[in-house]
Amino acid sequence: MPAVQPAAQTVPMVRLTIDGMTVHVPKGTLVIEAARRVGVMIPHFCYHPKLKPDANCRMCLVEIEKMPKLQTACSTPVEEGMNVRTATTVVNDAHKSVLEFILANHPLDCPVCDQGGKCDLQDFSHQYTPTTSRFIEIKRVFQKEYFSPLIETQMNRCVQCLRCVRYCDEVMDVKALAPVGRGTMTEIKHFGPHPLDCEFCGGCVQICPVGAITSRLSMYEFRPWMLKRTDTVCGYCGDGCQMTVQTKGQELIEVNSALGAGRNNGDLCVRGFFGFHAAAHPQRLTQPLIRRNGVLTPATWEEALEFVAERIGTIKEAHGGQSFGGLISGRCTNEELYLFQKFMRVTIGTNNIDSSARYGHINGIQAMRDVQGTHRWTVSFDDIAAADVLLLAGTNITETNPITALKIKEAVKKRRASLVTIEALEPSIEPISNLANLSLHHFCTPTPHLRNAVLGLLKAIVENHSVHSDLTRRHPSYVNDLREALAQVTWREIETATGKNAASFSAAAKTIAEGRQVVVLVGQSLLRSADGYWNSLNLLDLLLVIGKLDQAGCGFAPLAEENNDQGAIEMGAAAEFLPGPCDGADPVERDRIMSSWGSDLPPSGGASLVEMLDRAGAGILKAMFIVGENPVASLPAQVRAQDSLRKLELLVCQELFLTETAALAHVVLPATSSMEKAGTFTNTEGHVQTVRPAIEPIGESRPDWEIFAAVSAILGTPMDYTESRDILKEIRGLIPGYGALGPSPTPPRVDPTAIDRYLTEGYRRNLTGRYRLLPGEARPDGTVHLELTQSLFHSGKLSARSKGLLLVEQDGVLRINPHDAARFMVKNGDRVRLSNVRGEITTTVKIMNRIPLGWAWFPNHFGSSVMSLFDCVIDPVTRAPAFRTTTVSVMKVA
Amino acid sequence: MPHHELILLKNMAQPGYGGSLTEYERAGGYQALRATLGKIPPADVTAAVRKSGLRGRGGAGFPTGVKWGFLPKDYQGPRYLCCNADESEPGTFKDRQLMERDPHQILEGIVLAAYAIGAESAYIYIRGELVLAAKILERAIGEARAAGYIGKNILGTGVTVDVWVHRGAGAYICGEETALLESLEGKRGLPRVKPPFPATHGLYGKPTVVNNVETLANLPHIMNRGAEWFASIGSPPKSTGTRVFCVSGHVKRPGNYEVPMGVTVRELVYDYAGGMRSDKPLKAFIPGGASAPFLTPAHLDVKLDFESVAAAGSMLGSGGVTVMEEGTNMVWAALRLMEFFYHESCGKCSPCREGSSWLVQIMRRIVAKRGRMEDLETLSDLCKNIAGRTVCAFGDAEVAPIQGTLKYWRDEYVALIREAEAANLLMPEPAGVKP
Amino acid sequence: MSLSEKYKDDIADILSRYPVKRSALIPLLYLAQQEEGYVTERAMIEIAGILDLTPPQVYETITFYTMFNLKPVGKFHIQVCKSLMCALVGSDTVIGWIKTKLGIGPGETTADGLFTLSLVECLASCGTGPMMQINEDYYERLTEEKLDRILADLKSTGSSQLKSGPFMWPESIQT
Ligand SMILES: Cc1cc2nc3c(=O)[nH]c(=O)nc-3n(C[C@H](O)[C@H](O)[C@H](O)COP(=O)(O)O)c2cc1C
Ligand code: SF4
Ligand code: FES
Repeated sequence: MPAVQPAAQTVPMVRLTIDGMTVHVPKGTLVIEAARRVGVMIPHFCYHPKLKPDANCRMCLVEIEKMPKLQTACSTPVEEGMNVRTATTVVNDAHKSVLEFILANHPLDCPVCDQGGKCDLQDFSHQYTPTTSRFIEIKRVFQKEYFSPLIETQMNRCVQCLRCVRYCDEVMDVKALAPVGRGTMTEIKHFGPHPLDCEFCGGCVQICPVGAITSRLSMYEFRPWMLKRTDTVCGYCGDGCQMTVQTKGQELIEVNSALGAGRNNGDLCVRGFFGFHAAAHPQRLTQPLIRRNGVLTPATWEEALEFVAERIGTIKEAHGGQSFGGLISGRCTNEELYLFQKFMRVTIGTNNIDSSARYGHINGIQAMRDVQGTHRWTVSFDDIAAADVLLLAGTNITETNPITALKIKEAVKKRRASLVTIEALEPSIEPISNLANLSLHHFCTPTPHLRNAVLGLLKAIVENHSVHSDLTRRHPSYVNDLREALAQVTWREIETATGKNAASFSAAAKTIAEGRQVVVLVGQSLLRSADGYWNSLNLLDLLLVIGKLDQAGCGFAPLAEENNDQGAIEMGAAAEFLPGPCDGADPVERDRIMSSWGSDLPPSGGASLVEMLDRAGAGILKAMFIVGENPVASLPAQVRAQDSLRKLELLVCQELFLTETAALAHVVLPATSSMEKAGTFTNTEGHVQTVRPAIEPIGESRPDWEIFAAVSAILGTPMDYTESRDILKEIRGLIPGYGALGPSPTPPRVDPTAIDRYLTEGYRRNLTGRYRLLPGEARPDGTVHLELTQSLFHSGKLSARSKGLLLVEQDGVLRINPHDAARFMVKNGDRVRLSNVRGEITTTVKIMNRIPLGWAWFPNHFGSSVMSLFDCVIDPVTRAPAFRTTTVSVMKVA
Repeated sequence: MPHHELILLKNMAQPGYGGSLTEYERAGGYQALRATLGKIPPADVTAAVRKSGLRGRGGAGFPTGVKWGFLPKDYQGPRYLCCNADESEPGTFKDRQLMERDPHQILEGIVLAAYAIGAESAYIYIRGELVLAAKILERAIGEARAAGYIGKNILGTGVTVDVWVHRGAGAYICGEETALLESLEGKRGLPRVKPPFPATHGLYGKPTVVNNVETLANLPHIMNRGAEWFASIGSPPKSTGTRVFCVSGHVKRPGNYEVPMGVTVRELVYDYAGGMRSDKPLKAFIPGGASAPFLTPAHLDVKLDFESVAAAGSMLGSGGVTVMEEGTNMVWAALRLMEFFYHESCGKCSPCREGSSWLVQIMRRIVAKRGRMEDLETLSDLCKNIAGRTVCAFGDAEVAPIQGTLKYWRDEYVALIREAEAANLLMPEPAGVKP
Repeated sequence: MSLSEKYKDDIADILSRYPVKRSALIPLLYLAQQEEGYVTERAMIEIAGILDLTPPQVYETITFYTMFNLKPVGKFHIQVCKSLMCALVGSDTVIGWIKTKLGIGPGETTADGLFTLSLVECLASCGTGPMMQINEDYYERLTEEKLDRILADLKSTGSSQLKSGPFMWPESIQT
């Protein structure tokens, strides 16, 4: 298939004059934006580049030749030959007068306003108005009402620009804010007298030009000029948002993100905006601990490192390198991940290495490698926003990757893209936005059966004759085999399995096949299911079949959950991968790495996460290094992680907190969080971004890489890096894509030889297996299917230590469909007991319309208690453990 | 009293006329519809209306045929007609009478207009308080639908026009056409930024025409009797046809009078409305609803047509003529209207929103004899700074009463302030604004 | 009973008039108000559900319009026009009468819950002022005697013959 570039859309250019300067801008540009290009700043309040013009504040009035009245620059598009004047007396007087109106009812409380020092109103006032006001009447006063645990409102300060309301609607699609009343008494509120209930993205706080909406987390704490600002990357999810952390000494005060910054372009989600306090949690480990007489007792770094090195030496001598295993978190920096695997391979001598990417991200990566020969997306966030057809399968994206979700909302709401969703979600209007509401074709399918709907689409595409003709010509056997496999599934079966008929699939298939720029996104729900790898292959088949896989702007995009899962794979922190990632068994790659490192590599092959635990349980593995991971709490009880780890002769944990796993360790070494260290993260789209320390390490904690290097040095394998940048330099020599950390990554193109290999041979692997419908599971009376999902407000151990996030969601609650709630006779807030043969737990109920009938969701990050209810299966190819669904009976408890 | 032929009020002037379908048909109703639908191409209907010189009766006086012509010619997809029955301009009560007394005249006009612009759906946006009018219209729609004048395939012509009554819920601004559209979409009635205009992006973003009740009621007559006939009435070429003037205030016989445009104020007040209530001299009048600046006895011979009233420094507006006798305090009168505008400002634009609350507070102070001389300059400054700087014409309207009274009766302001100074109440206990 | 149970057919009919659901918001709010005299929070939530809106979207709309009550009002809601045209012919006097007769000021309700007084802006009957609207009906050209009769009628029978019929003023024109 030839790779065709989409026709470059040429936007006609317009020439105009602004204050005597000539400007060339694309047609459709607003005068205010054109002015900015020539350095003319037109004052404004209601205008914001992310929002549709509303022209309500009237601050941006300018003179335009041939127009009788002054015009608002924020809403007037440029026209050829336009002559705009912004600096005349008339314009200046207009600005002054509008400002006088806006200030009339505005309290003069700058000294106590948190916005003081970064307030547009304050700035313009200094520029335009006399110090005494002609307004001697009574100022408007709003009754103060409690607004929310995180957000404070001071509506007397509001200038009614509605930026907050418009952002909440246009960008977030949440619509939680309401301008209430009319005229001067218009007040921004939530619903009735109730406190705000929303996604808490902080967008309203950021976008308010005055101090009407501020963060309660930093209330009265600071003046902007007292704060130090650090630009860094959020550590919560794979979206990798750029943010600015503001600190006063060691105190974390506030986080925000500037318009234009990073892949998020200034937007953040609740975790980024309000979740920054985790690093400063009082329970942070501040010094090394060594188990003495069964008790973890404080020690110095020297003692701890010596102890570790000594134990390693002994065990290695007795049992060899293969008796060690290492597990690291995808929350670490690339430099740390890289050094960890190098430490394991070179210093220790084993490939028993794994990371959190094993939980699911690896399924997507392996599928991409197998089909298209890349380990990264072939699309970027910009391609998502520009796509005309988007297919989402098993993402629950608003809660897992909220900023990627914004790109999708932008594509659908602003650019009219067609959205097709295969999600375990009912469309519904709730405080958290729901992509299914924006969907043109929605297939509500429980997570374990997402495949059924994918097969329905594939079958419809094939039957609609939408298979790309080139493909049929060049790879007839692939097309035939697919066709045959799909012929085995009947529409009747698909209908029973999905509840949707052939016509629905056909309509959706038509939308997809007619798309110009088609992007398929899969998320955690799909990737972490037992079917994660196979279903990814099926979706890649779908792109192949319509001839889109190798087209520019099209592609397959698995979403990373942890912020650096992508980096973990690329750094080679997995048994099967060397840095690159390269196939650990490939002799050429092995030679290349060996010569670069100047040392031998252990023989290929190595244990993955669950295999390591099994080997520890069997007494084969003697020692483990666990960095930032907590398998005891993260894996189902059935895996018996705790028992296995107890058998180890040496367990070293590098941690921020004394987790369930760290509590079993022989040595616990306090590590720094990403607020305290330098390095890089690779986000889900393969964008490598710089992490910078905002505060000094807490207590005696040290960056993980320093710890590996120190242990290694004692063991006689010096790792000479003085700072993390030295490691990055080494990475650059080995891994392409880590050169310049530019603002916009160029995604890789598919590898045609890999595709050919897949189309001739690769696709056959388990074809009939992965093209078979999955049967529904029986659900006896009195039970629901329970699924672990992610909650928007939490995404890991860190979030559960973050005071802001805990204010919104304290604890895991069981989210359940209203009909099921009625079936079990439970109301919001009732306590229920969930039980099955494996165990039982008690939790609280929250009724949500979006949960599909017969299913209940529990947030995985409060999941340690529910883990007792789940089984675990291991994918034979990717070795990913899957344990996210089960069936439980529900009983109301008094 | 001079006699003019009644056009819009003709049927209802007949004793006992109840406005039912049979009565309307007996009076010649729906003949225009029969003669037009499927027989005269829509473009020709528009051309005829353009030729008749009919201008909007809602306030702005925009030529109706020209407005229709702005709809995109080649647009495939729905178009809408909205009948503006929001009648909320203080001093105006003609649409209410047209709707309650002769609803089918309006419905016939609506179907003709919808046919001309290619709209299959028409909404009558009626102010919420007019419950009776809404009921009468609903009933009339039922009758017309049963008789085949409204609905699918009207009289077998293949033309479809569905008509629904949509009640507002108390907001003057919803008479402004784009606020009306927002309100009809179930939102807050905030005017939209123009361009784009409703002709291209109207209801639900589709091409839309908004016309006043009285404007639409004229259409059957234009189609029946011809554009030339219509164009010959009134003050051609720019102000053709009749107007239903609503006379209120200190006159003997307030009410709705339909006269050809170009009649003088003097004729309207003294000949039609019976002259001044208690034979005190006329002191002031508003020629076209609350949004039109006040005029004085010196303007009694101004002709009531668009151009002449504009030349006199006011506007013909909605046709609400309010008359005030000698002895009326003009500052008080301006305050009353200012309170109206303050109450009704939608709050979108800062100058209008903040300005109206500021102006009303100053005016209350002055009337309460707590004014200061500087207030006069502030008042006129604020008025100047509001007008022309807002999204919709409300901003211009709200300053009209103060600007008009300051121009002709400044001495009354000064007198009130002098009283305040004399009473040594210089530092005011401010009159707070209650929401 | 929920609105959608009680007014199933009305709601379906209202929805059928508009290509976009949200347009049905004001009509549905009228239904809710007719039900309880004011719009309850429960009704707002229910209507939001019917129209695929968030409750704040319903709330922002309802508070823009003056005709929706968010709190209970008296059985008879007296709304006297106080705009200039009515004021020229005596609306302030009418307000004074009501205050003395019923002992309530603007925004207040009589102790028996029968009457609530509100002052409103122009109701499009400037030629027949002073005037007032009580619930759905207009009462025009008010005099003290007429007012007494209206209030008495309402108290005793719940309605009054003095309400306006189809509007025509002057009653005979240009004869
Ligand atoms: C603040 C404001 C209020 C208005 N109120 C009304 C009204 O109540 N009725 C009306 O017909 N037009 C009203 N208009 C005029 C409308 O915007 C619009 O011009 C008119 O409905 C067009 O119809 P026409 O061309 O038939 O006059 C108002 C305009 C403004 C600016
Ligand atoms: S709260 Fe702030 S952003 Fe929102 S409308 Fe008011 S001033 Fe504007
Ligand atoms: S809203 Fe248009 S001027 Fe106030």
